[in-house]
Amino acid sequence: MRVPLDWLRDYVDLDLAPDALAERLTLLGFEVKGLERWGSEWRNVVVGELLTVEKHPRADRLSLTTVRVGQGEPLQIVCGATNIAPGQRVPVALPGALLPGNRAIERTEKMGIVSNGMLCSGDELRLSVDGEGILILPVGTPIGAALTDLYGDWVLDVDVKPNRGDALCLVGLAREVAAATGAVARFPEVRLAEDGPPVTEALAATIEDPRLCPRFVGRVVRGVRVAPSPGDVQRRLLAAGMRPVSNVVDATNYVMLELGKPTHAFDAGAVARDASGQAGLLVRTARLGEHLETLDHVERPLSAETLLIADASGPLAIAGVMGGAASEVGESTSDVIIESAVFDPVSIRRTAFRYALRSEASLRFEKGQESRLARIGADRVAGLIATWAGGSVAAGRIDTAPDEPVRARVGYRPARVNRLLGTSLDADAQAALLARVGIESEPSGAATTLLVAAGPTPHGVPVTPGEARDAIVPSWRRDLLVEADIAEEVIRLAGYETVAGKTPDTAMPNVRPNPLELRDALRHALAAAGLTEVVTPALVSPSQAAAVGWPVGAAHGVPGEAAVDGPVVTVTNPLSERHSVLRRGLVGSLLDVLALNERHGQGDVAIFEVGKGYAKAADGTPAEWWRIAFLLAGATGPAAWNRPARAFDFDDAKGIVELIGRVLGLPDVAFAPHTDGAPLHPGRAARATAGEGCAGLVGELHPSILASWDLRAERVLVAELAIAGLAGGQLAPVRVAPISRFGPVERDIALVVPEPVTAADVAATLRSAGGDNLRRIGLFDIYRGTPLGPGEKSLAWRADFAAEDRALTDEEVDAKVARLVAAAASAHGARLRT
Amino acid sequence: MDLATLTRQLRALGEEALPKIAAAPDVATLDELDVAYLGRKGGALSSLMRGIGQLPVDDRPRVGVVVNEVRQAVEAALDDARRQTADAALAARLVAETVDVTTPGRPIARGSLHPILETIGRIAEVFGQFGFVTYEGPEVESDATNFQMLNIPPDHPARDLWDTMYVDIDGGLLRTHTSPGQIRVMQAETPPIRALLPGRCFRYEAVDAAHASEFFQVEGLMVDEGTTLGDLRGLLDEFAHAMFGAGRATRFRPGYYPFTEPSVAFDVGCLVCGGIGCPACGRTGWMTILGAGMVHPVVLRHGGIDPERFQGFAFGMGVERIAMLRHGIGDIRVFLDNDLRLLEQLR
Repeated sequence: MRVPLDWLRDYVDLDLAPDALAERLTLLGFEVKGLERWGSEWRNVVVGELLTVEKHPRADRLSLTTVRVGQGEPLQIVCGATNIAPGQRVPVALPGALLPGNRAIERTEKMGIVSNGMLCSGDELRLSVDGEGILILPVGTPIGAALTDLYGDWVLDVDVKPNRGDALCLVGLAREVAAATGAVARFPEVRLAEDGPPVTEALAATIEDPRLCPRFVGRVVRGVRVAPSPGDVQRRLLAAGMRPVSNVVDATNYVMLELGKPTHAFDAGAVARDASGQAGLLVRTARLGEHLETLDHVERPLSAETLLIADASGPLAIAGVMGGAASEVGESTSDVIIESAVFDPVSIRRTAFRYALRSEASLRFEKGQESRLARIGADRVAGLIATWAGGSVAAGRIDTAPDEPVRARVGYRPARVNRLLGTSLDADAQAALLARVGIESEPSGAATTLLVAAGPTPHGVPVTPGEARDAIVPSWRRDLLVEADIAEEVIRLAGYETVAGKTPDTAMPNVRPNPLELRDALRHALAAAGLTEVVTPALVSPSQAAAVGWPVGAAHGVPGEAAVDGPVVTVTNPLSERHSVLRRGLVGSLLDVLALNERHGQGDVAIFEVGKGYAKAADGTPAEWWRIAFLLAGATGPAAWNRPARAFDFDDAKGIVELIGRVLGLPDVAFAPHTDGAPLHPGRAARATAGEGCAGLVGELHPSILASWDLRAERVLVAELAIAGLAGGQLAPVRVAPISRFGPVERDIALVVPEPVTAADVAATLRSAGGDNLRRIGLFDIYRGTPLGPGEKSLAWRADFAAEDRALTDEEVDAKVARLVAAAASAHGARLRT
Repeated sequence: MDLATLTRQLRALGEEALPKIAAAPDVATLDELDVAYLGRKGGALSSLMRGIGQLPVDDRPRVGVVVNEVRQAVEAALDDARRQTADAALAARLVAETVDVTTPGRPIARGSLHPILETIGRIAEVFGQFGFVTYEGPEVESDATNFQMLNIPPDHPARDLWDTMYVDIDGGLLRTHTSPGQIRVMQAETPPIRALLPGRCFRYEAVDAAHASEFFQVEGLMVDEGTTLGDLRGLLDEFAHAMFGAGRATRFRPGYYPFTEPSVAFDVGCLVCGGIGCPACGRTGWMTILGAGMVHPVVLRHGGIDPERFQGFAFGMGVERIAMLRHGIGDIRVFLDNDLRLLEQLR
């Protein structure tokens, strides 16, 4: 909320500098987000006195004036306005001035005559909304004075939190300033001369459902003359960020900013009357098929929940949100009906959202309104209209609920307040602090129940006599409901800075496993291996999600880390289509990162992400699961003069999968062909598994995917893996194997097999035929070409044999190797390459 | 053969061998000379020693002395020459092997960890020293868990603080903060509780340099019998000093959250100007880094905790905000952009 200090001074004395006041309010919970010098734009704009006004010799519509702006020679200025006359005081923009809207004023020539500046209208200065003629300043305005010194003001931008609707106004903030400085806040004096006939002759109000409109106060002012508001009123409204409209409408806005009370003025001439001439207002919800043209000239169909102000012939206004165009106060208006009501906050909030019309009025209504203000607001608006627009105020008010509620009592225990805050303020000290915001307190009467939790499930605790006090809360404070609220007031007024910090000395919690342990181990291992971690948006476009088509589901998970092959979770109110569904996998996001970096000329990309996939389960509930994915493109490692560049290939990707398995202490990773095609190259994709600890696909991206992402890279390797424990598991301690005293015997065995036989199949055969003494078998070479036949390849294996308790003899090892060769021969048609 | 002749011949042998050894150009020549003079079979010395048998028995020991003298002299000369030749060869090799030591080394690929997760790790490390344990919760929450359980009823004006993205699941939404985790931890544990809840959050918020629609938060929760606002202040001071330097000024002021009462905003002295006032801090000298407060009794009850016996505090901070201040990053959008030119600086 914008708070012009000159206006605020009406309600509280200020002897603090603006920045000091801003700090005090901030420390009291009303954060000042900005401090602006309103009118700082009027540099080089001064008050001048018109000495002469003559016709411009060469232009009928221009005047030639001389203006005295102080000590020096009078200035000759050409002016187009017609409302000027000698002797008037007017704002003069001198050459060098920069008016609102960055309008620079220079010495110019107009139709052959030099003009040494410009006479300004109120609109040109944003000092009023009058753009028709030059702003005529009051007689006696000092000649030569800078306009900013006369009318400039400091404006605070105060962040009023949603629970303090009472402070969304100048009077409310004046109360807070008073609490901070010790000054006394002044409520505006409501002056009202009721000189018309009784209001009941002119107005009747009927409330259909008092729950939606607990109080309706109406007043009538007859015979107003609608015109612009006085200059100082317009200035205040402009400084507070509201556009002046007319004296009648400005009165309602002025009171809204002053008291926080939104009201509405109807043109009584547009409201249906009965035979006696009495206008009848009806507060009711909309009927099927009703429409209303609102003040913004939009014709709106009204839904049944919409609360309206209506008359016998139909809707007049959307209650608490926006008035109707037909009953708008305009120049022809003579009689005005003032509506000052309290509406159900939830109804107003829903309506404002329904029509996307969150007005200054609805913002205040939805925070709840003090009943008392309905009466005071009606009186205040009527009084201001009578003062600014003339007319006579009809005697009395229409009031559907004149009984005003008594002040609420909130029980609190001073000892409990201290226990919560860690303070030692005695009951009297607490009472003195509370008194600064008008909260009186007294010892509670008999033993009672004290409310510690309000809302839909209130909760009270019994207290003994003498333990508790009652805080008697001012009518405007709707936020003080339970003991903790009183505690906050105590410390707010004492100053949060008085809270003495200490490190906790209470009991420590039980040890709990760290759910990030396994993820962190993998992250560190992959970063150490040269991959850069990325974190990408979980919300993606539906087309991105569909384009990757990475297979998801239990078959692609590991126990405890299954994914759901269900529909995507879609945002119903997305910011943009590009971020409108929750991704089911990470690979598409990694491709987006590659694309972005390629655009920056960085095509060597090795990245990984540990992130979530999301989908809807069969029962409609959301499912979330963790995955790790990586992408390799371009050259391996940093470019260097002392190493030939090499492009990432499938084996690099498999190596990373194997590294992951090693970090987690899993069995050796097995790769099986995955020939399903897109999103992967059907001949260069594998399903990787490491026991039940890791499963997923790794491979080269299908060229069609590269094309659809518009990537420059020729080959892109990707993998997405499910890892047991990724969601929150721990690393199992490593169990070491004993190291034999007897060194292994190493043998190389080259086996010629038909091309379709996979290395994994041969390895499995060798492993199972090797018996206990085969400690390790590893592929170290693949050879194709002469003297092998076409369609043949040689797989060269290195086998380590060892025994726990003795050195193996050559004869024993020879026999074992022969067994391996025989097994490979029978299983795969292999022969020993000699 | 007599003693004198043999002695003379032996000495001549020595005099012949020594210059040859001294002049030998390499180890191979030395080896040849070694065999030629000292070889057991056919070596010159061995040949001469055959003459010893013809001498009178009494003379034999005297010749033996001479033989030893000559052998030792030749052996010493050979050893000496061998050492010198080896030294020269080594010196020549070292000269030949000289490289330009000023060239850069062979770089080792080193990735980097993302600043969001590294900042979460740093936050967890600081609070971990005070016994705070990490928990996690789901990102697709419901209106009940994200709002109602946290004392934010439907249609409450405070909902304006969290512009929300809803999903096509009945009552489902993307969590706007990590605070729902408070309820989950309270329901799962009994006090004393010291919990940290890091994670991804979502808001319906137009993206600019200071606002993101996806971002990360770390929530903290501490509940025990005597946990006070003073404990919160003390802990947050420790945190601010650990993250932003020991001398960093801090400020405790009122805030507003429906789920805490009293509520707190926590500021640190501006990291740009140090507190004098500059555009980065809105000329106040302070930067707000987190919101906090004493857990509202309604929230404790929803967590299954008796608010008469237990009390505690909660805090929540935007991870990106902390990371931006620590790394001098001016635009929140860089975190999810993943421009490697930026990420690689964070190695």
